[in-house]
Amino acid sequence: MPREIALFGVYMPSLTLLFLATLAGSWALDRLLAWFGLYRHAWHPTLLRMSLFTCLYGLIALYIYR
Amino acid sequence: MKTVADAPVGAFRRALGDWALSEGMTWVFVFKALLTAFVALWLAYRLELPQPSTVLATVFIVMQRQSGEVLAKSFYRIIGTLLGLVVMVTLIALFNQERVLFLLCLAIWVGLCTAGAARYRDFRGYACVLSGYTAVMIGLPATFNPDGAFMQALWRVLEISVGILCTGLVMGLILPQTSGATLRATLATRFRDFAGFACAGLAGELEPQRMEQLSARFAAQAVALENLRNASAFEDPNIRLRSGRLARLNNEFMVLSTRFHALYQLLQRLQGEAGGHVLEALQPCLAQLGAELAPLAERLYSEGDATSLAQGLQISQQALMQRIRDGRQQLVERQADEARLTDFNTAAELLFRFANDLHGYAQTQASLADQHHARESWKGSFTPRANGLAAAVAGIRCALLILALSAFWLASSWPSGSTFVLTAGLVSALSSTSANPARLSRQLLVGATGSAVAGFVLQFWIFPWLDGFALLYASLVPVIAFGAFLLARPQTLGYGVGLLIWFCMLALPANQTHYLPYHFFNEYLAILASMGLVVVSMLILPPDRPWLWRRLEQDLRMRVVFAVSGKLKGLVDGFESGTHDLLNQAYGLAARRPDVQRQLLRWMFAVLEIGHAVIELRQEQAALPDEPCYAEDTPWQLGVRALGRALVRLFIQPDEANRQRALAAVEQAIQAVRDTPELRPPQFDSSPLRRVLSYLHFIRSSLLDPNSPLAEGSASLAGRVVHAP
Repeated sequence: MPREIALFGVYMPSLTLLFLATLAGSWALDRLLAWFGLYRHAWHPTLLRMSLFTCLYGLIALYIYR
Repeated sequence: MKTVADAPVGAFRRALGDWALSEGMTWVFVFKALLTAFVALWLAYRLELPQPSTVLATVFIVMQRQSGEVLAKSFYRIIGTLLGLVVMVTLIALFNQERVLFLLCLAIWVGLCTAGAARYRDFRGYACVLSGYTAVMIGLPATFNPDGAFMQALWRVLEISVGILCTGLVMGLILPQTSGATLRATLATRFRDFAGFACAGLAGELEPQRMEQLSARFAAQAVALENLRNASAFEDPNIRLRSGRLARLNNEFMVLSTRFHALYQLLQRLQGEAGGHVLEALQPCLAQLGAELAPLAERLYSEGDATSLAQGLQISQQALMQRIRDGRQQLVERQADEARLTDFNTAAELLFRFANDLHGYAQTQASLADQHHARESWKGSFTPRANGLAAAVAGIRCALLILALSAFWLASSWPSGSTFVLTAGLVSALSSTSANPARLSRQLLVGATGSAVAGFVLQFWIFPWLDGFALLYASLVPVIAFGAFLLARPQTLGYGVGLLIWFCMLALPANQTHYLPYHFFNEYLAILASMGLVVVSMLILPPDRPWLWRRLEQDLRMRVVFAVSGKLKGLVDGFESGTHDLLNQAYGLAARRPDVQRQLLRWMFAVLEIGHAVIELRQEQAALPDEPCYAEDTPWQLGVRALGRALVRLFIQPDEANRQRALAAVEQAIQAVRDTPELRPPQFDSSPLRRVLSYLHFIRSSLLDPNSPLAEGSASLAGRVVHAP
């Protein structure tokens, strides 16, 4: 995947777009986890959500920059 | 030995625990504010953003005690920022060469946003505020340098995002004070207060004055809880799953308190000679319900208790019905006349419905314990319904002010003119969401004056000695800590916001520090003068004038028209939430006039009572079985329709002639219902006409009430409000 994407003539880092994509993905994952009540077993749900997001974004970033 | 040593240790622990729950929270907040400022400022300098001040100002704009509100505010702030960005870039592109047109459009846009914020006082209002003031924040500096306007606008968005991100992370992750916990605590306290108040009311010991105070508080809490619920859904997945049930709970509470108020009014009207027998017959039923409510008033009850409460209420409903029948029998044995019996029936019906509502509330409360529940699928919604005119006044005032200041700027070509205009926009926008805008803008002015003093000292005596980020931050700590301390208390919130935001915007060194004393004084002069003008403009064009109260009263009365003619689907929740929201807005606007507040409350009670009875009447009509005596063209149906028209006329123009007309209509309808033969046993649970009769009777007693504002007529009312001391 290219590291920069031209969007309407403006060069943007792919990471910015992937950030938005990850946001959407982790939102869906979050709804799923909440629906099954998995957050009840978490000590700090916000921390868990945050960490999940970081892991996902890190994975995707690795995919580009590896 | 050990036991002796344990006692002080235990006492110390308890004291520490108490401290942690009260003052400790404030200190935790101060600590978090310092940490957020540290991270945000470090990032701003490290990333070499052009204006670190925007980052830090954003941090303090978004900062709230509760993490859920921070997240909700951040979300709407991003939306508002993007919207403001789009509008500003368009305006710059269109009117770049024409200062006058540009400022005119800017004034209109900010005015619109301010009006929007005053119209919806929830998070949508917040998005309005932000799109208004991002517009001025981006637009005004860009007019000096139109070539770079687009890049500058992007920088501002980036800076705002960094600020939001830092605040959200710190407030959400480190020692979070969740909104969900506050939501639960508020719900429990509100129910406890209500139980105490209902208990006193049923025992006939409730002062009307206390009733009014509590009702105003419940209206404010209903609106606040709705906002809290929205905010908590952002933060807590468990709350989001229960969001529908929480909204339902809020609505059920409003219905419950309206019902209780109707019952209370009816009991008040029965006090006196004629109603004595009725009250006596009703006494055992009242005592039973009072005994059930009494234990709830003594402690906060948890969700676990709600299950047992719901079961208890369900069982006791049968006993209540039996008691009501006994009471009626007692009246019949005493050969009471028809009117007394109808009084009894109406009161008993209200009492039974009150018990029923209470049961529903307890069930919903109990259902919160489960992750998923059938009660979640509730179709109602909270409909804010503020007065458009009050919002328009705020918008017009803001737009005029910006125009006036811009004219001054253009005429004098003052170098700090843009700050002058910008501050007016910021302060108007910030204060428009508050319940008492004049007070908040005064607090902001005082806070900003404090920031000028602090900024002066730091800029001219401290900063020249400093080298490096650590020292810079150490010198900022006292100001930020003090500001955060003020921010943590609702009474001093305005001072904190004024101090922190304007300190960050003007005294913080930029990434390329310019040491310009003239600029510094000019800027502070501009913001203080501009804030002073905002405060003055609030005095010249204040929102609390008799014409506005008359409009608000009129709006409250129009709720009855809505109850008569609105669509039946979602009518109860729309009616309740809209009326409470309207009262809440009007109550805040009339903060300095207790007499007006009382009058507004009395109108709300009249509107809620009659409106609610009308809605139930309509629901009853919609659910009638298909039998000839319930057909559309029977005399009683025609009578009820005529009553609806008479009520609309009465509430649009409340005078004596219209009241008499409405009374005649209700009496005619009652007579028509009585004359209609029905094939069912005359019990409440089996006979629709019996229930219709009791609603009609209730409307009649409400119209006859000598204490109701309806009895005074509109002409005397307006005179009274104006001439009151």
